[in-house]
Amino acid sequence: MKTQTKQLINEGMWSNNPVFVQVLGICSTLAVTNLVLNTVVMCVALVFTLSLSSMTTSLLRKFTPRNIRMMVETLIIAFYVIIVDVLLKAYWPQMSDNLGPYVGLIITNCIVMGRCEAYGNSNPPGVAFIDGFFNALGYTVVLMIIATFREILGMGTFLGYAVPYFSSEYWDKWIIMVMPPGAFFMLAIVTWVFRSMKMSKEEKTK
Amino acid sequence: MKNKRWFPIFYMFVVTACFSAVIIGFAKTTETRVKANQAGSFEVAVLKVLPGLYDPNAGAVELHQRFVEQVSEPADETAGAYTSEQDGKITGYALPFSGQGFWAAIDGVIGIGPDKKTIINIVIYQQRETPGLGAEVAQRPFCDQFIDLAMTAGDKPIEFRRPGEPLSTGQVHAVTGATQTSIRLEKIINDSLDRWRSKMK
Repeated sequence: MKTQTKQLINEGMWSNNPVFVQVLGICSTLAVTNLVLNTVVMCVALVFTLSLSSMTTSLLRKFTPRNIRMMVETLIIAFYVIIVDVLLKAYWPQMSDNLGPYVGLIITNCIVMGRCEAYGNSNPPGVAFIDGFFNALGYTVVLMIIATFREILGMGTFLGYAVPYFSSEYWDKWIIMVMPPGAFFMLAIVTWVFRSMKMSKEEKTK
Repeated sequence: MKNKRWFPIFYMFVVTACFSAVIIGFAKTTETRVKANQAGSFEVAVLKVLPGLYDPNAGAVELHQRFVEQVSEPADETAGAYTSEQDGKITGYALPFSGQGFWAAIDGVIGIGPDKKTIINIVIYQQRETPGLGAEVAQRPFCDQFIDLAMTAGDKPIEFRRPGEPLSTGQVHAVTGATQTSIRLEKIINDSLDRWRSKMK
C-alpha cells in the first residue's frame, strides 16, 4: 500500500478522526445512536455520500469557479443524499421510516462539507475518494461504540436481540441512555478515552 | 471563458441541470415501487386488524390479492371503515386514523369487532416518533395491549395510563418516557373512535 493511502487511513480513522478530534458531525452522532441498526444504516449512507461527494467535487475542481464552489459542493452532496433516500424508500421502506428525516439531514452533516472543502477541492479524485471513505469509517467506528453502549444500557438489546442480563429483570433499564442526554454522556466519555489514548501515544513517540 | 462574469451562473445552471436530470430519471424508475410500498403497508395494516386475514408467511403479492378480494371498501354505512365479511355478515371494521404526533403524522388502522365495542387489534404503519421512545407505539408490545380490548361508552373510548398503574376497562399502559407521543396518540385514537361511533349509531 502506498504511504499516502496509509496516511489517509490513519488520519481519517485515528489521528484526525472527524468526531473526536475535529468534532464534526456531532448533531447526527447525538441523534441516530440510540439504536444500533439505525446507526449502521446511517453510517453506510454516510460512507457512500462522503466518498462519492468528495470524489465528484475533486473531478469538477478544475472547472468550478472559486466563488461558487460551496454551492456546487452542496449540490453534489444533496445529489447523493437524495439517491440514498430514494433507494431506501424503494427497497427498504421500513428503514426509511425508522430513520425519518435523518437521511435528508446528511446534507447538513459538517463532515461531508468539511472533507469536500478541505480535501476534495484540492486533490485528485482517487485520493479524495479514499480520504472521504476513511473519514466516514472513522465516524462509523465512533458512532458504533456509542450506539452499542446506548442500546444495551438503555434498552437491554443489541440490534434488537435481547442481551443476557441487561434484558432481565435484574437490570433496571437506563432509559436516559436512549434519550438525548445519554448521547451527550456517551460522546463525552468516548472523546475523553480516545483523546487520552492519543495523547499518551504521542508522548511516547516524543 | 472562466473569467467572464456570467460564467459562474452558467456553470451552476449546467451542473444543476445535469444532476437534477439524473435524479429525476432515478426517481421515475423507482416511482412505482415507492408507491406500491406505501399502498402495500396500508393494505397489510388493514389485513392485520381484521380477523383471520393476515398471514405472516404470505408474500407481498398474495397479501395484496387478499386485500382486493376479501376487504370491502369504506361505505356510508360503515362510516369510513373498511370491512371484512363472512357469509354476508360483517366480521370486523378496519378504521384508518391519522393525526399529528410529536415529530410528524402518525398513521394507523384500528380493527373493531362486529359488536362495535371491542377493539380487535391496532397497527401503526407510519410514524416518525423518536426511535426507541415514541416509536415504540408502533411495536407489538405496545399494540398487543389493544387486542380484545373493550372500549368504554363515554367520549373517551380508550385511555392511556402511566406504566405500572392498575388497568380497568378500555385502559392500556403508555410507553415509558414517551409522554408527548402518548398524549397525542391517545387523542388521535379517541377522536377517530368517537367520530366513528357517533356516525355508526
